[in-house]
Amino acid sequence: MSGSRSYGRNPRALGTLVRSGAVYVILAVISAGFLLPLAWMLSVSLQDARGVFAQPFAWIPPQMRWENYADVATLIPLGRYLLNTVIVTGLVLCGTLLSCSLVAYGFSRIRFRGRTVLFALCLSTMMLPGQVTMIPLYVLFSRLGWVDTLWPLIIPSFFGSPFYIFLLRQFFLTIPREYDEAARLDGAGRFRVYWSIILPLARPALITVVLFTFIGTWNDFFTPLIYINSPGHATLTLGLNLLKSQIVGTGMTQWHLLMAAACMVMIPNILLFTLAQKYLVKGIAMGGLR
Amino acid sequence: MNSKRLISFLLFAPLIVSSCGTKEESNTGKARISYNCAANALEIRHLQDELASFADSTGVEINLQPFTGQEKLYAMIAAGQPPDIFYTNNVLRDRLAAEGRLLDMRSLSAGDPFVERFWPDMYRQGFSLDSGLYSIANWNFTAGVYYNKELFDNAGLRYPDTSWTWNDLLDAARRIAAEKKAGGEPEHYGLFIPGHFVEIFELMNGAPVQERSLFLNLSEASLEVYRHYLALMNDHLMPDFRRMQAMGMQASQLLQTGKVAMLIEAVPHQVLFETLTIRWGVAPIPRFGTRPVRCFRSESGGLSISSQTSNTQAAWKALKWIIAGASVYQPNPVLRDADFVAGWEARYPRLIGSGFREVWQWSLKHPGGDPRFFVRFSSWTSASIMERLQPLLDKLWNRETTVEALAASQPEINRAARTALDRLIQRGTLRQEFVTAIQQQLLQAPP
Repeated sequence: MSGSRSYGRNPRALGTLVRSGAVYVILAVISAGFLLPLAWMLSVSLQDARGVFAQPFAWIPPQMRWENYADVATLIPLGRYLLNTVIVTGLVLCGTLLSCSLVAYGFSRIRFRGRTVLFALCLSTMMLPGQVTMIPLYVLFSRLGWVDTLWPLIIPSFFGSPFYIFLLRQFFLTIPREYDEAARLDGAGRFRVYWSIILPLARPALITVVLFTFIGTWNDFFTPLIYINSPGHATLTLGLNLLKSQIVGTGMTQWHLLMAAACMVMIPNILLFTLAQKYLVKGIAMGGLR
Repeated sequence: MNSKRLISFLLFAPLIVSSCGTKEESNTGKARISYNCAANALEIRHLQDELASFADSTGVEINLQPFTGQEKLYAMIAAGQPPDIFYTNNVLRDRLAAEGRLLDMRSLSAGDPFVERFWPDMYRQGFSLDSGLYSIANWNFTAGVYYNKELFDNAGLRYPDTSWTWNDLLDAARRIAAEKKAGGEPEHYGLFIPGHFVEIFELMNGAPVQERSLFLNLSEASLEVYRHYLALMNDHLMPDFRRMQAMGMQASQLLQTGKVAMLIEAVPHQVLFETLTIRWGVAPIPRFGTRPVRCFRSESGGLSISSQTSNTQAAWKALKWIIAGASVYQPNPVLRDADFVAGWEARYPRLIGSGFREVWQWSLKHPGGDPRFFVRFSSWTSASIMERLQPLLDKLWNRETTVEALAASQPEINRAARTALDRLIQRGTLRQEFVTAIQQQLLQAPP
């Protein structure tokens, strides 16, 4: 009551309240727009096969079919696909963090002839669309005998990614050089400075890289599609494709099962993003300071 | 790294390395054929259950590769490791055949009784511009008019059958759409023809199907159908095609909700069979007046064998088994000796008495060719043609241009197609037989 009385006496405060209320309403409406497909997915995942085509669509299923989530595992080897995805994502994270941070350290801390040109060259590789390098890479991995294994999904990450190199380099430049010099005075070599000084201080940027890499690799459909032939080597995203109807003969796509599987696949992404979103903003913001 | 970490690493590293997998190699001494097929989990299971006995009886092992995509196929071809058998649509098949990527199966099929089992129109569609046989049809479908029996009953209409004509369809549509809502919109529209099925009516109206043509030829029969199609929307017998497209409304939903009483769609159509809960029937596409009946029958591509296959005989055996032996694909409608209708009625008992049998048999009796062979859908020049024709068609359905203006744009569209062909020949990647065939058409085409 005291609050409403004070607003009554202070038109400016009332105006602020109305404005922020309007902003919240607009944001809520926009958020609802973004959340709608997710809500649809969740709803379909709890319905029976006909639910997706029902008219009108029942957003809250009349009967929750939690067993859809268990049924998925009887159709596709979900455990195997999960293991493949975890291995690929885990190793890609290791590869990306190691290679990108090391290259970024070099570009930010070591002065050498041609550094700027080399950095520009590194960044210019971002301009190359994936389709251009797809066939040469496929030929390379095929010569190595790695097609239809997980290696082509993992190994490229150990050779750096220009975007992450750029992001980390920018962040490293914000770390005062005095830290390096102090460590060097104490006898630390370049690698020790990188490992013990720079990396711990760059945690927000590294977490940002982890988040982007995790989401990108976990959700990647195209790279596994190109390199994987056998169902046993599929990742989760590729495995989900096996729930779609492909030929005429075994009925239409079981959308309720496909959506249940998609919901399960999304969980790690949502968890990771929820836990680490503050680092994401901080990492990007600080990376852009310099 | 301390010793505990080192031991953990040494324990886990081999585990991870082994999980990353190595390529499976066959050591059974049997010929191994890779089959790149679009298949889902259930289909893979069915196929794999039968592969062992197929391998035992023929000495051919089939390695299923169920992940498909054009980019993947191109990458595999570029690396010199294409799958032995894979699906190609008509455009892709012609391209790959012209580049020498596909096996000409004429030598394999000659004298093989397997070929005699095909419906001739299905088998014929696998030939390309140089008269080589580069794909074998593995599926086909026709089209029909699905109708809501309740709306027909309410309007006092008899159900359509093989004798009905375009005028009967219009009459039924008018009577169903007679009842209006407050805003003047019909309570129920008479029918809906999705834009990609207009060619079925062009076929029925006598439009010529020039199977290996490279230039656009919009005949008067096609243009007349476009006028009919526009009239359906102008007379409010059909909901606005563009509006339906924009709303993302599924054709099946239109029929299910009673928004339309008739719907032109593929036969068979699994989604309709499995999701329609209304009382429905299906009838053949109506004929135009006294014009002869020409039913739509499309094979939508087929299975091809790579020219790089190491064992052509084994690949041919595998291909034949996939089409005619693998139970998951049976009964296969491309085969004359397969009782397709009975098989599907067993799978979907609702089809019995629905008209499905009559529609299918009618299409077998009156095969009219595949209007998807209209050059605008199925040729090297289709991309160049559609790039220019599609915006005009969109405008036409939006009533922003006229049928006459569309017809007048043909020479310009064909000029662009000619330029595209010239460039293709100059690239020097085509086999001579194809270059010659294209050059002949270029000479005969109008300037």
